[in-house]
Amino acid sequence: MEKDSQETFSDALLRISNVDAFYGTFQALWDVSLVVKPGEIVALIGSNASGKSTLINTISGVIHPARGTIEFDGRDISTLDPFQIVTLGISQVPEGRRIFPEMTVSDNLILGSYNRQARPNRDQNLKRVYEHFPILEERKNQLAKTLSGGEQQMLAIGRGLMSDPKLMLFDEISLGLAPKVTEELYKAVREIRAKGITILLVEQNVRRSLKEADRAYIIKAGHIVLSKNAAECQEEEIRQAYFGVCS
Amino acid sequence: MGVERNMKVSINQWRLIVPVVLVVVLAIFPIIGIPLAWLLYLFLFFVYMAMANMWNLLAGYTGLTFLGPAALVGLAGYTLVIVTWNDLPFYLGIIGGGVVAAVFAALMAIPTFRMRGIYFAIGTLVVPEVLRNVFYVWKPIPGDFIGGGAGYMIKGIEGLSLTEFYWLALTIGIVSIIVMRVILRSKLGLGLAAIRDSDRAAASSGVDVFRSKLYAFVIAAFVMGAAGAICFVYQGYIAPVGAFNIRWLMTCLLATVIGGIGTEEGPIVGTIIVVFLHFLLARYGELSLLIQGVILVVIMLLMPGGIVGLIRRKTRDYRSLLQLATRR
Amino acid sequence: MNMEVLAGLSRPIIMGVLLGGLYALIALGLSMVFGVMKLINVAHGDLMIFSAYFAYALMTAWGIDPILSLTMGIPLWFGLGFAIQKYVMSRAFGISMEAPLIIAFGISLILQSLAQIIWSPYSRGLTAPYALGGISLGITTVPRTYLLSFIAALVVMLVLREFLRRSYLGKAIVAASQDKRGAELVGINTGRVYAFAFAIAMATTAIAGVFFGLTFPFTPTSGVGFLVIAFGVIIIGGLGSMLGTFIGGIVLGLTQTLSGHFLGAAWQMLFVYLIVFVVLAVRPQGIFGR
Repeated sequence: MEKDSQETFSDALLRISNVDAFYGTFQALWDVSLVVKPGEIVALIGSNASGKSTLINTISGVIHPARGTIEFDGRDISTLDPFQIVTLGISQVPEGRRIFPEMTVSDNLILGSYNRQARPNRDQNLKRVYEHFPILEERKNQLAKTLSGGEQQMLAIGRGLMSDPKLMLFDEISLGLAPKVTEELYKAVREIRAKGITILLVEQNVRRSLKEADRAYIIKAGHIVLSKNAAECQEEEIRQAYFGVCS
Repeated sequence: MGVERNMKVSINQWRLIVPVVLVVVLAIFPIIGIPLAWLLYLFLFFVYMAMANMWNLLAGYTGLTFLGPAALVGLAGYTLVIVTWNDLPFYLGIIGGGVVAAVFAALMAIPTFRMRGIYFAIGTLVVPEVLRNVFYVWKPIPGDFIGGGAGYMIKGIEGLSLTEFYWLALTIGIVSIIVMRVILRSKLGLGLAAIRDSDRAAASSGVDVFRSKLYAFVIAAFVMGAAGAICFVYQGYIAPVGAFNIRWLMTCLLATVIGGIGTEEGPIVGTIIVVFLHFLLARYGELSLLIQGVILVVIMLLMPGGIVGLIRRKTRDYRSLLQLATRR
Repeated sequence: MNMEVLAGLSRPIIMGVLLGGLYALIALGLSMVFGVMKLINVAHGDLMIFSAYFAYALMTAWGIDPILSLTMGIPLWFGLGFAIQKYVMSRAFGISMEAPLIIAFGISLILQSLAQIIWSPYSRGLTAPYALGGISLGITTVPRTYLLSFIAALVVMLVLREFLRRSYLGKAIVAASQDKRGAELVGINTGRVYAFAFAIAMATTAIAGVFFGLTFPFTPTSGVGFLVIAFGVIIIGGLGSMLGTFIGGIVLGLTQTLSGHFLGAAWQMLFVYLIVFVVLAVRPQGIFGR
């Protein structure tokens, strides 16, 4: 187990400290600590059932940590409800997208700005989303369920953008999509970062996420096992941490 | 060694002797001059307990939220009418009522078992409504109705007194308890427990889901029907509005929930309270139903496990506390 | 088919359609709660009947016109619905799968007994001078109340549809019914949205109660029958579409009037309940088919 020891960034946007989380009696997260600095792209890598989605859901308030704290922008958010956390500036693009299938594309996006802070900027944000994803504007009156997988993912990302977030959590955006579509999505991710939004990226595709990220954490069975700058990650140590094969 | 073995045998014998003695004592109540009011209480207690036990078997153990007890009770009652009007003895009518209820349950199972969850609940709720309307138009006995209520008197019960009614009730009450004990400890019972948690999981473990549900349903229907028929024997009269009334469901529901759904003792405890309330509030008429409704809501919110659930939790807490205190 | 039979059918058909409008209005509240929270409010029928009784009380005590009394009834039922969902049902969901059902039963029992205590088991009716008598619709005459109820149903359904389509809260309600987690992650306070949905459902139920009370007599126990009818409407017509609810209502309305026409009044309700049961049996997966 290897960890960079200077996890004491004082200017962290998101700081997760020693978090335990449970599903009923099953412990999904063990003493997890993680930091995201403003403007970064941080990758959270792990195989299936490693706890990545659990961690994302804990940040968003869907699950509450049994132990430890989650601080966002200096404020403890570990006991807040999901809708409150959205208001503070965290937006999750969930695994499986979770768009509203029987509603139009534009309604889906409009709902993204449901929270009071984001409503005044709605039309502005909508324009920006259409700039990132012109295809959404083309299909804006179609029902969301008629969109292709890639388009639905774009819709989910666009919807996440509508809430004026400071931090966006992307949970497996490339899942089940062709490489070409994935490239388009990651292009948008770069554009989003360029606008100043901080990003925490959860991916099974290790190489892809390392290409985009500044730093990476590897999570296995609910434990953070590696924390490094993305550029320094060697394939061998990734594989070891990911699969846990002793050498 | 020999002494211990004797003791063990003794305990098992006690397990058999105590209930038998209890039953005998209860049976001789009317003869030894127990006041009529008490007998009436016990009459209602045993009949309602039988129904509640069966309802608990379905809802608490099989996962079948059956909202149509009124259908079974009403049909059994009308069977009783047909039997007695054809000059057959009333107890055949009671058994016939149980049989008809059981057959009807088997028929009902075909369409309703396919309905999942809430749809099953509403589906079984609709059945008594349909039947009530059927009996508004259909005359099981040709000829005119008595009075304007589309009802019938029960024949062949002249000369019966509370004593006989009491014994009938006691019988069905004991039957219901025996049925519960036997089923829950049988292979069927294991299957039902699996089904309650998940139909699919049970099926993949080799449980014949449909057949298990069917057996439980049919058996419960027989007992419910017979108990209902006994009620009508006591009442002496049947009419569609009373026969297929939702009150039958309310009694089962209330007794089971107060006592503890999914527990063996629950319906017994619950019925004690329900019948007690019935008498306590009898002169307040509708107020008693109001209070029962309030109790139902309050109990579900505060004590969803019912009284038995509460006791079990407390004894578990107490036991673990005890363990903690006496830890070596 | 010969002309006489056809001409004779025109009245039951028109009445059936009008009645269907009322049934759709009655079903709206149940449809909303079921669609959004997947809860069958078994007290639905009784809540509707209680609204009729409320209007009755105002009518007999102070001579207030029933439709006018809705200015009090609607906010009252709205608040009641909000409170029930927020403080009772939301807790029930966390207890067990049967808990909301059983609690709704308790509420149903409470309402029925309250109504019986206050107003006795004898049937009551709402009356208003403009609601008496028949009105000619060209081919035939129908009772005014039928037409009034139909119009009320149209108006309420249109208003509700526009609300759900255009307002933020309306869209949030629809979204929460399609994907609860998605809605939460977008910043929707689903707990509050559910409470509003229940409140709106109750408001429409209050309206349904008054128009129902103007059209038919009612007793404290009339509620169960209308729970079944409302449920039938949403099973037949589907969820999530006003048109569907309307069609569901009309199917049941026509069933009632046509079976009454051909077989006599005593058979009407039997066929209605029978159809509901048959549809339930034939489409066991309900509307969602999940």
